Amino acid sequence: MNLITLVLLAPLLAAILILPLRRWPEAIALAGIGISFAAALGLLAAGFSGTTSQVILPGLPEMPLRLVATPLTSVLSALVATVAAFVLLYAVGYMGKDNEKPRFFTTMLLFVTAMQTLVLAGDWITLLAAWELIGFSSYLLIGFWYGREGVAGAATRAFIYTRSADLGLYIGIFVLIAAAGTTEISVTLNVTGPAAIIAGLLLLIAAIGKSAQVPLYDWLQRAMAGPTPVSALLHSATLVAAGAILLIRTAPMLPPQALLAVGLVGGITAVVTGLIALGERDLKRMLAASTSSQYGLMLVAVGAGVPMAALLHLIAHAAIKSSLFLGAGVFQHDRDSTAMEDMAGAGRARPRIFAGFAISALALAGIPPLSGFFSKDAIIAAALTTPWLAALALVGTVLTGAYMARALHILWAGKPRATSSAGVVWMGAGIAVLVVLAIILGAGFPALEQLLEVELPVSYLAMALGLAAAASGLALGWFVPAAQLLGPVRPWALRGFAIAGGFDGLVLRPAMAIARVCERLERVLYNGVLAIGQSNLELGFITRKSDEQGIDAMIFGLVRRTIAAGDRVRLLQSGLIHRELALTVIGTAIITVVLIAAPMYF
Amino acid sequence: MLPLLSIAVFLPLLGALILMMLPHKTARLAHGISIATTGLTFLVTLAIWARGIEPGGFAQVEEISWIPAIGAAYRLGIDGLSLPLILLTSLLFLLSSIYSARVSERPAVYVVLMLMLETASIGTFAALDALLFYVFFEVSLVSMYFMIIGWGYEDRQRAGLMFFLYTLLGSLPLLLAILGMFLGSDPYTFDMRTWIDTPPLSGLAAMLAMIAMVFTFAVKIPSFPVHTWLPAAHVQAPTVGSVILAGVMLKFGTYGLVRFALQMTPEAFRDAGLVILAFGVFSALYGAFVALAQSDLKKLIAYTSVNHMGYVVIGVAVASLTLDPGLRAVALDGATLQMVSHGLVTGALFFLVGMLQDRAHTRGMDEFGGLLKVVPMLGWAFVISAFASLGLPGLAHFPAEFQIFLATLSIQPWAIVAILAIVVTAGLYLRAISRVFMGETNEKWLKMPDLDRRELMVVVPLLILIVLVGVAPSWLLDMIHTTMAALKF
Repeated sequence: MNLITLVLLAPLLAAILILPLRRWPEAIALAGIGISFAAALGLLAAGFSGTTSQVILPGLPEMPLRLVATPLTSVLSALVATVAAFVLLYAVGYMGKDNEKPRFFTTMLLFVTAMQTLVLAGDWITLLAAWELIGFSSYLLIGFWYGREGVAGAATRAFIYTRSADLGLYIGIFVLIAAAGTTEISVTLNVTGPAAIIAGLLLLIAAIGKSAQVPLYDWLQRAMAGPTPVSALLHSATLVAAGAILLIRTAPMLPPQALLAVGLVGGITAVVTGLIALGERDLKRMLAASTSSQYGLMLVAVGAGVPMAALLHLIAHAAIKSSLFLGAGVFQHDRDSTAMEDMAGAGRARPRIFAGFAISALALAGIPPLSGFFSKDAIIAAALTTPWLAALALVGTVLTGAYMARALHILWAGKPRATSSAGVVWMGAGIAVLVVLAIILGAGFPALEQLLEVELPVSYLAMALGLAAAASGLALGWFVPAAQLLGPVRPWALRGFAIAGGFDGLVLRPAMAIARVCERLERVLYNGVLAIGQSNLELGFITRKSDEQGIDAMIFGLVRRTIAAGDRVRLLQSGLIHRELALTVIGTAIITVVLIAAPMYF
Repeated sequence: MLPLLSIAVFLPLLGALILMMLPHKTARLAHGISIATTGLTFLVTLAIWARGIEPGGFAQVEEISWIPAIGAAYRLGIDGLSLPLILLTSLLFLLSSIYSARVSERPAVYVVLMLMLETASIGTFAALDALLFYVFFEVSLVSMYFMIIGWGYEDRQRAGLMFFLYTLLGSLPLLLAILGMFLGSDPYTFDMRTWIDTPPLSGLAAMLAMIAMVFTFAVKIPSFPVHTWLPAAHVQAPTVGSVILAGVMLKFGTYGLVRFALQMTPEAFRDAGLVILAFGVFSALYGAFVALAQSDLKKLIAYTSVNHMGYVVIGVAVASLTLDPGLRAVALDGATLQMVSHGLVTGALFFLVGMLQDRAHTRGMDEFGGLLKVVPMLGWAFVISAFASLGLPGLAHFPAEFQIFLATLSIQPWAIVAILAIVVTAGLYLRAISRVFMGETNEKWLKMPDLDRRELMVVVPLLILIVLVGVAPSWLLDMIHTTMAALKF
């Protein structure tokens, strides 16, 4: 069996199996994800030995579906499988007491299947389908506790935001297919000219929605309504990653104009969402804002023309962010809250989890020799060619250090409280592996560069700048309260930099207004047709009346007069012989006269 | 060779006659005959499918001369456009008769009307003679009218008036067009195959005939601005009435649009293509936005039909506007598949809303809440159908809409604005789901029973087909493509 199909089918079959069985969901889920993980590593190994493989399935007429394992896609597939496997391991502990476990694991596995399909997609239809299915399964996961207040709204918002941006993907794909005449991704990457610019900008819109970039970022923070493993998965290597992956894969096609837009969006997002993270009062929401900010940095790398740097940061970030979320989930279990003020001292109560959390935080800030240092260094080095991009990337880096240090400070400084230990073994195991990855992944980067045949420039200036930015950020965050750091922008940051009412004001309310106008027009139309109907009925009544009083009256009148005339004529028919004879004689006389006179008038 | 097509057309009528002749018409007996007849008809249509179609023409043609002097004959036949619709029709009637096994009010009359409607519906799709087509097309209205008037909800009188008014006025232009084409044909004939091979009219006459036909079918489809009968009829019709109306009878319009307007007056259709396209685009957007403003679930689904059928009009219109046979096939494949998908998905949605209404006696979405916890099967079935309706990949509408939009962008790029509607439909369905099925459970409905066996038998086949068409559309699309790639117009 082809490894590609195994990567996809194992989690899918596990998901399908869990639903009717409703028993041992954890075991089946872990088995499914384990097999998928092994197969993905197999694909990666095959990639290192230089083989690529492909699966072709029947799709639309003359547009078959393709799954391809190239070096790039197999790296991504391995990444997704790794994070998913350890997040699920953690979830065994986290979801321990929930009685909806089968539904949880089914949806998680569906999600992983969709994500794997996305990274392995070799044609645009498969990619689009996977892209939308990711949106759907994240809707189900964010809305997992659908009975709770605010959850339905968060799930709906996440789906609508991404779907709105998905229009970019739809139209971008149509433009590419129309220009290239095929749905195969690798062929469409050769498109040039205006079609490439238009398609590139449209794909950027799609990526903005999925990767929660400016201006479509606020759904991600609200998406925290789901269980913590969901957040860990959505924010690291999957849902949010889809946008960056799309741009990394299509980077060879993007013309300079589109790259400029990508870099601009990424740079602004890195700063804006970094500020939001710094002002955030909720630990999970802070991590969510940080995710947007880090993806902004990846877009900066793509915009600077070095997608490889973005890929490295994507990989490092996946391990780092998932372990941060999982750590936050443990603290959340302890304190039954994710608000920063309730979190004070939660780290001191669990030194080992806190150690993992802190290491990941430092990795994200970009402290050597942790993985984040290498990837961030690559991004800054890439951005150095364009000064304004480099400036935005450095500000983003400072902010990263600041908000992570602030979180560490809060977790460590307060008073520890007693903790319980149910399920912590599973959770700890999941976190441990991901933290180890966050530490050592940097060592694997040269091998990756070799595999993908890309050589990143080594820049000591970038290294020095990045390190200085990270260190100053960490120091600021630890020693200076966030309120002072933010200064005048604080009220803006707390409001999430919503401009003109944000999505609600710019899209939602106008859409509802249009809907109401259409509805009013509809009433007018409906009543109009009904009025025509009524007037026809009226016409019917009038016709009936005119029939009754006009034509009927005339006809009946005629009948009456005829009868009356008949009555008069009847007077002649008296039955008296002498009278009849006299009438006969008169009649005969008249006829005779007429006949005799005939020649005179012919 | 058994004349399977004729059997499929008249078997339901036979069932109705048998039922009428029986002396003691108990509800049990009536529904038994109904299920047996529609079940057998479904099997016959499967056999027709097994016999298959031929590229570039009609297959399984059955012909008996009727009025030779004017070239009218009893002619039936199928191709890749009509066969999927016939299969959809026989399936939806079977599921409808299973669903209505609970109807206790004048069950025998109800069943007879439904079976007559099935004969008329299959006949409409299978007819190859314009006169025969017109007869079936008109007869279907009678049954539907009585179904709405007799078994509908509160405001059925007015809805009935609306329905009757529209359909009465709507069909006359088609009759005129048919007569016009008859007079234009030489020698005189009502054979639709001849009219397709050598369009009988040209110039102004063709344009007038085309306008007349498009008007009739636009009422049926329904397209803005002649769609206002649809929500009224849908909301007031009994559940089965809504399912048949949306699942089968709307397709008379789109089928006619392709078979008559596009194939018999191709030149005129091409000349007016941009106008028709504009109506399609506007309908699609308008239907979505009006649906967004609804709080009555049935009305909401009814308006999404205007939206989805708008896509079909777009597909047919752009197909007429290009000379590239490849793109043309993409557009028409998508339009035809969209008809089938819409039948499956909207059928499922109307059944589910009907089931909800049977339990709660209301359809206002604000009166529910948190139902997913109380009736999980009904809830999840609704969620899946709703996502299918908003075009989620892996479910039935996606392959169809993908092809329609792909062709649209390649042929008339401006018309791609219609794609905005997929976001609007996403919004309206998610709003409905979150109000009805998510959030806190309304105390009133805590004892609501979940789907029973009969209801599962109705819904599950539709859900399976929705997934099958979405994941692997080729089993259906290959058949459609065979015809569309060689369609004459």
